[in-house]
Amino acid sequence: MRKARTALADIEFGPSQHLLEVRELAVEFNTDYGNVHAVNGINYTLDAGETLAILGESGSGKTVSALAIMGLIDRPGRIAEGQILYKGIDLLTLPTAERRSVRGAEIAMIFQDALSALNPVFSVGDQIAEMFVVHRGMSKKEGMRKALELMDRVRIPSAKERLHDYPHQFSGGMRQRVMIAIGISLDPDILIADEPSTALDVTVQAQIMELLKSLQEETQMGLILITHDLGVVAEVGDKVCVMYAGKIVEKASVSDVYESPAHPYTERLMNSIPRVNQKGGRLDPIKGSPPSLMNIPHGCPFHPRCPRARIPDPCRSEVPPLREVVTNRLSACHFAEELLAEEGVEVFAT
Amino acid sequence: MKAETQAQPGTPTEPNPDALLSVRGLVKNFPLTQGVLFRKHIGDVQAVSGVAFDLHKGETLGLVGESGCGKSTVARVLLRLYEPTAGQAYFKGRDVFSLGRRDLRQLRREIQIIFQDPYSSLNPRMTVGDIVAEPWAIHRDVASRRERRTRAQDLLERVGLNPDHVNRYPHQFSGGQRQRIGVARALALNPEIIICDEPVSALDVSVQAQVVNLLEDLQDEFGLSYIFIAHDLSVVRHISDRVAVMYLGKIVEIGDEEEIYEHPAHPYTQALLSAVPVPDPKLRGKRDRIILTGDVPSPADPPSGCRFRTRCWKAQPICGQKEPALTPRSRLHPDACHFSEVREVVPVES
Repeated sequence: MRKARTALADIEFGPSQHLLEVRELAVEFNTDYGNVHAVNGINYTLDAGETLAILGESGSGKTVSALAIMGLIDRPGRIAEGQILYKGIDLLTLPTAERRSVRGAEIAMIFQDALSALNPVFSVGDQIAEMFVVHRGMSKKEGMRKALELMDRVRIPSAKERLHDYPHQFSGGMRQRVMIAIGISLDPDILIADEPSTALDVTVQAQIMELLKSLQEETQMGLILITHDLGVVAEVGDKVCVMYAGKIVEKASVSDVYESPAHPYTERLMNSIPRVNQKGGRLDPIKGSPPSLMNIPHGCPFHPRCPRARIPDPCRSEVPPLREVVTNRLSACHFAEELLAEEGVEVFAT
Repeated sequence: MKAETQAQPGTPTEPNPDALLSVRGLVKNFPLTQGVLFRKHIGDVQAVSGVAFDLHKGETLGLVGESGCGKSTVARVLLRLYEPTAGQAYFKGRDVFSLGRRDLRQLRREIQIIFQDPYSSLNPRMTVGDIVAEPWAIHRDVASRRERRTRAQDLLERVGLNPDHVNRYPHQFSGGQRQRIGVARALALNPEIIICDEPVSALDVSVQAQVVNLLEDLQDEFGLSYIFIAHDLSVVRHISDRVAVMYLGKIVEIGDEEEIYEHPAHPYTQALLSAVPVPDPKLRGKRDRIILTGDVPSPADPPSGCRFRTRCWKAQPICGQKEPALTPRSRLHPDACHFSEVREVVPVES
């Protein structure tokens, strides 16, 4: 498969470097009603072949952080702070033209709602072919040939007959496959999937996750999976960042987080959901609702809902930093050690 | 084309005198027409095709299936928001579908509905108090004009909202709170049955549990019966006493929650359950996963015989010739498969 001919594609990056490194990223939206602090200083890395799950509820900043990586934050939003290093180069300092060549070719994104993400007045073939025409300077005919290949690759049945069909003629699952075809068309190193299966039925959801996994195995792309579904994360994630009110509150391997959550939000979230392999009994909900990003609580953003909070000190007075509590396990809770010790995990001596 | 009026084979045609609501041979077709001036009837979307079930007092019946399987249509027909094509629904011995206008109005007191989207199901220009009190403007004998305000406040308090917020507008509430307002409105006329059409799907994960608990509390307090429609099989298991699985307008399997989840006998139920993501990374790769191929066929032209046969791995020629009756086969609970066989697909809790 031919690689993108962009300046960045040829950069050799050292083994010590990450494919993607997000540093202290902050995004805000200046609205008439006030500043919305959607993302407040988050850090993470992604390596080739790895799946990073970003878990959070609506309004936790997970989608906005992804849009920032794609360079799709538009007014009134702005990136207030931070760096986004792709193969060691800060994307935020690149000139517009170069930035554009990264988008789609190096880092691609697929969206939750395929019907509104696709253009209703062009056939799906046209829309996939456009990637090759615009980015690779191919002719329309060559592009359509490539589009057909891709539709086969994402296992759209009878792709040849459906090449000239329009988005509304496809089912939800098939439309999401078209989105994935566009996403992987230029063989990107990173694919960001924003709730790729949320709007779909469970049987179709399983098909789509299966497809993404097998494509990732083929191409070794890094996958950022944005979701609110604890089940999906458990099934496909390697690492997970749990986001709350624009911050990462916990970061570790998926198995560690599910075995013994190191932040009360994660712990409470896991306890509150019903499970298909569990019978009734009373659910144990988190009180209250997620905070407004215009008015994030002082100190730890989770403290008004947290059963472990000690108020006022330190939970309301001090912002807990995201810190390593156990090797490779980060938590932004003042009492993470206590929580882990309760769960029987050995923690660093404090 | 003549509308199919017969009940699904194997289902009873006589009402069950012990049940609160007894649905028999329920059919709902939506006509497909062609032409502008002379509208020609060219076929029917067979949304519901001969469904039968009972609902007992104080019970929750879960109705699950993929989008387009007819579960919401069942809900709307029972309230006569749509007129049924054929069938009966006996509520306390009287057929809901043959009621005249006046009797129908009485009936609607007894059967209420909560909708999925708490954003579009509340009038943005009415205060919360007016929304909750609106049913009393039609059913004047339930609450006199003078007591409406205090009764509305009582209801708000009962669903966990601040009664002082009676003069606020829906946009001043969060999604979870809005759904509580919808619940309060449904309770206003002291109904016996509440149909919950995806009541928690639009809510944040951490808020879903609050609403589920509320529904359970109200059921205990008022002896309510629920028809709980959802595509989230984990929530349905949690709240339901019995579960009916629908596919393309027919019930393919119905039984106690434990029977359906732990001993599913119909291949579709098995596929559906095996696709539910389980939030436990230890189970990754160890589950019995059935990935269905293809999409749900069009309900305008459903397959002959067993409607699931086009996606079924067990299908034999008989499946296309003879419709399988919904009758006890592998277990004591009925399922509609010629090759019914229990396959345990939900992992046992670790």
